[in-house]
Amino acid sequence: MLLTILREWMLTPFANYRLFHNFSRQDFLVQFTASIGGFLWLILTPVIHIIIYSFVFSYIFQIRSVEGFGETTFVVFMMVGYLPWFAFADSISKSTGLLLEKAPLITKVKFPVQIIPYVGTVIPYLTHAIGFGILLLYLATQGYLNWMWIYLPFIFFFQFLFALGLVSILSALSVFLRDLQQLVALGVTVWFFLTPIIYPITMLQNEDVRNLFLLNPMHSFVSLYREIVLQGQVHFIYLQIIIPVSLITYFFGGWLFMKIKQAFGDVL
Amino acid sequence: MPHVSVQNLNKDFKIYERPQDRLFEIILRRQRHQLYHVLSDISFAVPDGKSLGIIGDNGAGKSTLLKLLVGTLQPTSGEISIEGQVAALLELGAGFHPEFTGRKNIYLNAALLGVPDDNIAELEKDIIAFSELDYFIDRPVKTYSSGMYVRLAFSIATMVRPDILVIDEALSVGDMAFQKKCVQRMNEFRQQQKTMIFCSHSMFHVQELCDIAIWLDKGKIREIGDSDKVVGHYEDFCNNKKTYNSIREDIPTERDTSQEASKANASDDIQDCKINSIAVKSPDGSDIATVKPLSDVLLEMEVEVLVDTMEGHFGFAFMKSAEEPIASFLTTNADEIELGVFAKGDIVKVSLIVEKVAMRVGEFYVLGGLADKSGLLWYETKFSKLLAMEANKGVGPIIMKCDWQLDKKG
Repeated sequence: MLLTILREWMLTPFANYRLFHNFSRQDFLVQFTASIGGFLWLILTPVIHIIIYSFVFSYIFQIRSVEGFGETTFVVFMMVGYLPWFAFADSISKSTGLLLEKAPLITKVKFPVQIIPYVGTVIPYLTHAIGFGILLLYLATQGYLNWMWIYLPFIFFFQFLFALGLVSILSALSVFLRDLQQLVALGVTVWFFLTPIIYPITMLQNEDVRNLFLLNPMHSFVSLYREIVLQGQVHFIYLQIIIPVSLITYFFGGWLFMKIKQAFGDVL
Repeated sequence: MPHVSVQNLNKDFKIYERPQDRLFEIILRRQRHQLYHVLSDISFAVPDGKSLGIIGDNGAGKSTLLKLLVGTLQPTSGEISIEGQVAALLELGAGFHPEFTGRKNIYLNAALLGVPDDNIAELEKDIIAFSELDYFIDRPVKTYSSGMYVRLAFSIATMVRPDILVIDEALSVGDMAFQKKCVQRMNEFRQQQKTMIFCSHSMFHVQELCDIAIWLDKGKIREIGDSDKVVGHYEDFCNNKKTYNSIREDIPTERDTSQEASKANASDDIQDCKINSIAVKSPDGSDIATVKPLSDVLLEMEVEVLVDTMEGHFGFAFMKSAEEPIASFLTTNADEIELGVFAKGDIVKVSLIVEKVAMRVGEFYVLGGLADKSGLLWYETKFSKLLAMEANKGVGPIIMKCDWQLDKKG
């Protein structure tokens, strides 16, 4: 029973490839059709954030470089962590509205509803992968390119699975708990500041507190990106965290979603 | 072979006073909801290749039943078995995205309805042709009129060639020409021996398009059967809604009438007469319980005169309820009828032939009565048993005898 559910969950985008493709294309393109700025807004938000944080930390706090990262400027250090985070934050923030937006469809048309969290996670990841890709291209020309970079897609994929699991849980629960929308928006902000993105973890003096940050999987993801991109090395502890955490979240989220999707029709 | 059957289907909605109660119930496991029975004990089967109409008042559970059949709602208990591909038009254009062109929406919608990959491009042309959207097909759907919206949605849903088509109120929009096309398409669908389930407030469409019909009333099946018959009964019910429930209490029994009559005549304390019997028959004299529209009926009553020198008028009436007449027939205008003087002990047999009854639907009682010479004061009345009009095609409360002719020149 459990295996059947998980199997269906895993195969969803493949078994319903055409629907997945059409939904994704629609949701991807709709980001650009509605407003004049279109694509510009997608790029603009992270760029503005980066400029603000750079101004605050490089100019006001005078952080020029980061311990252990040699010549790398703080801005680059931050961007490598920030862009993947933005994909994650974007998908999580949108998760609570996913099913509510599609309520007329869910109540009136029979289709595999679990495709919605898939689409809802793929779109931000796809969109922000473009930004991350541009940054990597730039860094490659600056002499950062190393063979460890081939692991980046895997890390990004695990981060995607982690996000997908959370999106499934949050989207399904928000059908029953509308308050979740505000809660999640707040939670994403808190999570952002508890993840060493705009500050290096080394700024924390206390070893015990630093180890406490390992409980935050996003810290491991961000650290992995930085180590791979900027240093060409990997701490295994981070991999040991993200692989099981991502898989567990992905499967648990899928299981939960598949379990309670039957009730959506009654509530929406 | 497409096949639809439903067994002892029940659907309850849980009503929570506050939204958070739903959460508390899950966590604390203490019941915090009230049950609302939307559908109870629904069982039916649609024979292969037949189409089913669902009728009933607002809130009777029609839409819920359709949603259960389509599978967007889960039944509380009971079984639904459906074999074959289902396409549903529960809400027109539910999957449309307003920002995208009609053409792009065709692709997403077809994918939602589960059309195989290679068929979509092929169907696209047919869909555009059928919807008559022409160059609008490449304009965003948000610029469409509601008629265009519906046309596109209907075209997609029927073009994907499902085995079972479920439609909710789809035909009520769109211009006449398109409605005609829709009916044609649905008829083609029937000819192909596919199953159709159709819910509508248009009795005409249900009669025309459905073989069998279900009348839902407060979540229960009130009647199921031949669509002509069920629609007729339902229409009658709607016409009578005001009095339908109370009619049986309204109709006084024989005893009551005579008591009332005696009260009315309390001064002399004796009745003038008594109606022994009242009957509705066919012209050949046999008793009937239903009346065929435009047929003749014979009304008969037997009056026993209880006093000497009784004079008066006789009358009959078709009554919807004790207070509400449909038609009346009085002897006040008929010169050739003997109006007395009658003597005590006389038994008078009054009969009246009503020709070509023009009622089309409904149930009625026949009231027989006796009035004083002025025709204003009724001594005595008596109701017949309930009669019903036989099921027939058509719409509206009355039916008229007519002769057709068609002349063609040239």
